[in-house]
Amino acid sequence: MSARATRLRRALSSARSIVVVVAAAVWLLPAVFVVAGSFKPDALVLSEANGWRALWPSHPTLSNYGDVLRRVQFGRILFNSFVINLGIVGGGLVVNSLAGYALARLRFRGRALILAIVLALLVVPLEAIAVPLFYQMTVLGGRDTYWAQILPFVANAFSVYLFYSFFLDFPRELEEAARVDGASTLRTFVEVVVPNSAPAFASVTIVTLLLYWGLYLWPLMITSSVDVRPLPLGLASFRTLPPLQWGDIMAFAVMMVVPAIVLFLALQRWFVAGIATVGVKR
Amino acid sequence: MSSVRRSGRAARILDAPLLLTLPALVGLLLFVGLPFALAVGMSFTNLRLGSPLPLEWVGLEQYTRLLGDETFRRALVNNAYFAAVIVPVQTALALAAALAVDGSFRGRGFARAAFFIPALFPMAMVAVVWELIYAPGAQGPLNAVGQALGVWMPRDFLRDPVLAMPSLMVLSVWQGMGLQMVILLAGLQAIPRDLYESARLDGAGAWSRFVHVTLPQLRNPLVFVVVITALLAFRLFDQVQILTRGGPGDATTTVMYEAVTAAFTRQQVGAASAMSVVFFCVVVLITALGRRAFRQEASTA
Amino acid sequence: MAISHRLQCRSILSALLCAAACGSPDGAANELVVEVWAHSGQEAERAVLEAQVDRFDQAHAPLRVELTLIPEGAYDEQVQSAALAGDLPDVLELDGPFVAAYAWQGHLLPLDALLPDSLLASLLPSIVEQGRYRDRLWALGSYDSGLGLFARRSALEAAGIPVPTSPPEAWKVDDLDAWMTRLAEADEDGAVLDLHLNYPGEWYTYAFAPAVRSAGGALLDVGELRAHGALDAPASVGAMAHIQRWIADGRVDPNVDDAAFVEGRVPLSWSGHWDFARYREAWGDDVVALPLPDFGEGTRTGQGSWVWAVTANASDAEASAAWIRFLLTEPEVEAMASANAAVPARISSAEASPLYGPQGALRILYEQLQGGFAVPRPRTPAYPIVTSAFQEAFDAVRSGQDVEATLTEAAEVVDQEIADNRGYPPTTGSR
Repeated sequence: MSARATRLRRALSSARSIVVVVAAAVWLLPAVFVVAGSFKPDALVLSEANGWRALWPSHPTLSNYGDVLRRVQFGRILFNSFVINLGIVGGGLVVNSLAGYALARLRFRGRALILAIVLALLVVPLEAIAVPLFYQMTVLGGRDTYWAQILPFVANAFSVYLFYSFFLDFPRELEEAARVDGASTLRTFVEVVVPNSAPAFASVTIVTLLLYWGLYLWPLMITSSVDVRPLPLGLASFRTLPPLQWGDIMAFAVMMVVPAIVLFLALQRWFVAGIATVGVKR
Repeated sequence: MSSVRRSGRAARILDAPLLLTLPALVGLLLFVGLPFALAVGMSFTNLRLGSPLPLEWVGLEQYTRLLGDETFRRALVNNAYFAAVIVPVQTALALAAALAVDGSFRGRGFARAAFFIPALFPMAMVAVVWELIYAPGAQGPLNAVGQALGVWMPRDFLRDPVLAMPSLMVLSVWQGMGLQMVILLAGLQAIPRDLYESARLDGAGAWSRFVHVTLPQLRNPLVFVVVITALLAFRLFDQVQILTRGGPGDATTTVMYEAVTAAFTRQQVGAASAMSVVFFCVVVLITALGRRAFRQEASTA
Repeated sequence: MAISHRLQCRSILSALLCAAACGSPDGAANELVVEVWAHSGQEAERAVLEAQVDRFDQAHAPLRVELTLIPEGAYDEQVQSAALAGDLPDVLELDGPFVAAYAWQGHLLPLDALLPDSLLASLLPSIVEQGRYRDRLWALGSYDSGLGLFARRSALEAAGIPVPTSPPEAWKVDDLDAWMTRLAEADEDGAVLDLHLNYPGEWYTYAFAPAVRSAGGALLDVGELRAHGALDAPASVGAMAHIQRWIADGRVDPNVDDAAFVEGRVPLSWSGHWDFARYREAWGDDVVALPLPDFGEGTRTGQGSWVWAVTANASDAEASAAWIRFLLTEPEVEAMASANAAVPARISSAEASPLYGPQGALRILYEQLQGGFAVPRPRTPAYPIVTSAFQEAFDAVRSGQDVEATLTEAAEVVDQEIADNRGYPPTTGSR
C-alpha cells in the first residue's frame, strides 16, 4: 500500500478516534454532572447547575457521602443487594441457559409450546403481577426474607430468550465432535457449549443485573427491615419533603452505581477474553 | 463396556430435553404465570386492597369501563407513540455506537465505557437526575445551554404538553442505549473477519460491506434488540412516576402507570388487573405480528 | 424484624399495672414492647422522637418502645403492604386526613376509652377534630400545622402595601393581584410569589384547598359524599383559575432550589410553619407571617399534620395508648414543637410558646386555628381519592389546562370511587 494511502488511513483513524471520544464525552455529561454534584454542598448543586461549574466541584466536600452513610445503613443494604443479585444472577445463569439451550438445539415434543409460553410470559411486567405475587409470597411466609426477593426472579423469560438466541448461532461442529465421543446432552452442554459461550453468559449477567440491581417496587412491598432491604430502598430516604438534598442524592447515586461499574469492568475483561477464544469460527 | 452403558443410561435420564427446561419452566409458571392468572381472575371482580366491603364478581365491567375511559385510551396512544420513536432511535444510536466502538483505536475503551455507563444507573436514579437537568427557569442546566446557544428561551419541559413526552424519551434513550450497544457489539465482534476480507477482495466499499455483510450477520442480535427495546418501552413507568405523574393533563400517562396508580394509590386492584390484561394482549399481538415480519432463524452457515 | 418478647396482658387492670412505672407483676424477666412506626421527617424531628423513646423507656420500664422510622416518600405503600399482610405495628403515625380511611378499613382502634377527657380538653380543638370520624376518636397529633403567606415587611412597606395583622384583615385576592403587580415592578424577573410548586403530592391539597374554600367552594360535600357540585362549582373553578393566572402571568417562581424566598428572589411565600426557621435565619425580624388571601368568603387556611393512632393489630391497647399519652404531656409536646416549630397541641403550651404566644412571630397562625379560619381537609374515607384527584387536577391546572374541564373530570373520578365503595357504609371496624 502506498505511503499516502497509509497516511490517509492513519489520519482517518485519528479523526475517527477524536469524533468518537468527543461523542462519548458528551454522552457522559449528565453522569459527570452527578459525580461533580456529589462532591458539592447541597446549595451549590442547584445554584451552579446552569453553568460550566455544574461539571466541577469548586469547593469539594465529602459531607454528602458522610450524610448518606449516616442516614442509610449503606454497608448493610449494599451487602443485601449483593446477596440478592448474586442469587438471581447465579441461579438464573444455570436455570435459564439450560432451558435456552434445550429450546435452541433439541427437538422434542412440546418445544414449540414451551417456546410460546416463554415468549408470552416475556411480556408480563412485574408491576402487573406484583399484587398477586405479593399475596403468594406472604402466604408462603416470604415477608422480610432474602429468598422472597430472589426466587421469583431466577427463572427469567428475558434470559431464556437471550440464551435461545445465542445458542441458535452456536457452531454445531463443536457439539457434534463431543457427541461422537458419546457425551450426553448435558455433558456436551457443560463441557463444550458453556466454555465457548462466554459472550452469552456475560451478556445475560449484565442484562439481569441491569434489570434487578435497581428494583424498587418489589422489595418495598415485601420487606420492612433494613436487614434484608436492598440499595434502591435507600433512595426513598432522600425523597422526602423538600428541600431535597441534591448533594446527598447524587452521592447516593454514585455509591449505588460504583459497585455495578466495578463489576462491569471486571466482566468486560472476561467478556473480551471470551471473544478471543471463540475465534474457532471460520 | 457395560459401565459406560450404565452411566450412559443414567445420563440419558438427565438428558431428556424436557428436564433441562423444567427448572426455568416451573419457575416461570409459578412466579409469573400463576400471578398473572390470578390477576386475570381479579380483573373480573371489584377487588380493592384493604377494603372491608365484600368481594363481588363483576364480569366484564372493569373492561367496559376501561374502554370508555379517555385516560386509558390516551395511555395506550402514549405507549404507542413512545415505542414508535424509541425503538428506531435507540436501536440506530446503539448500532452507531457499537460500530463506532468496534475496532482498535485510541480511546476505544473510554468510549465504550462512556456509552455504557448510563445503563448502569437504575432508571429511577436517572429520572431524579434529569429532573434537575430539565429544571424550569434560567436555573435549569438544559435551559441554560439552550439560552447560551440562543436556541430557546427557558421552558418547563416536563410541564409542556408537547415537550413532556419527548423529554422523557431523551432520558430513556440516554439510559437504555448502553445495553443495546453492548448486545450489538457482541454481535459485531462475532462476525468472522474473513467475510469482510472476501468482500473487500471483491471490491466492495465500506458502505456496501456494511449493507451486505454487517447487517445480515447482525440480523439476530438486531431483531433481539428491537424486540427487547419495544417490550421495555411498553413497560414505561419509572420515569413517568417520578417526573411527570402522567401529566400535564394526560400527555405522558402510560398503561403501566395507570395500572400501578390504580392498584397502589387508589387501591383498585380489580381495575388495575384489567389494565394489565389488556396491556398483555396488546403487546402479545404486536410481538406476534413482529415475529412474523422478522422471522428469526438459526444461522445455517 | 427483631425478635421481641411480648406479654399478653389480658385484663385492663394488669395492663395498667404493666404500663405503670413499676416492675411487671410477673417479675423482671418479662418485657412489654410497643412497636411504633413513624415517618422519617426532618432531622430535628427524628432526633427528638428518638430522645422521646429513651425518656419513655426510662419512665415506663419495663414497658419499652421499638421505633421504626419509615421514609416519607414510601410511607403509604409500606403501611398498606403491612396492613395486607396483617403486619401492622402497635402504634402507627399517619397523616391526619387519612385517619378516616384507615378507620373505615378497620386498621385502627378507637381511642375514646383509652384516653382521659381531661387530656382532650387540654388540646387544641383542631387537633381533636382532626382525629374524629363517625363520632369516635381515632388519632391525635402532638402538633398541628400553620399555613400562611410569609413576606418581607421591608419589601411591602417599600411598595406601600398594608400589612394585615390578624386573619380578618387578610388581603382580598384582587388587592393581592394589584400588590403583586407593584412588587413585580421592583423585581428582576417579575416573579414575586413562591407557591412551592416544587413540593410533590399532598402539598397541593393542603396548601390550595383553603383557597377553594375561601372562594366558597369545596373539595367535597362531606355530608352528601359528593364531589360534583363542590369540586367543580363555579367558586372552586374561579379560585383555581385565579391561581392559574398567577402562574401564566409569570408571577410565580418555580422554586426549583427551594430557596426563592431565602435568596430574596421573591418577597412572598405561600408556606407553612416548617419554613419559618430558615426564613428567619435569612431575614431576621423582617419576616412576617400573614393570613392567606381572601378569595371571597374570608381567609381560610389549612390544618392537620401527622397523628398517632393505635392499630387493630396492637397486642396491648393500653400500653400502646400509654405512648400516645406520653407524647401529649406538656414537656414532650414542647420538645417536639421547639424542634419543628409547629403549633403545639396543648393550649397551654401554645400560649406559652415563644412563636405562638401573644408576642410570637407566628401568633397569627395560631389565631387562625383557634378562630375557625382553618378548615380541615375532608374527613372521609374517600380522602385518598379526593386528594389524588385534586393533585392531578392541580398539576393540569398549573400546566395551563382548562380549569373547568379538569375539575369536572376530577369530580367524576371521585364520585365514581365513592359509588364503587357504596358510599363507605359503616363497617365493624369503624362502628
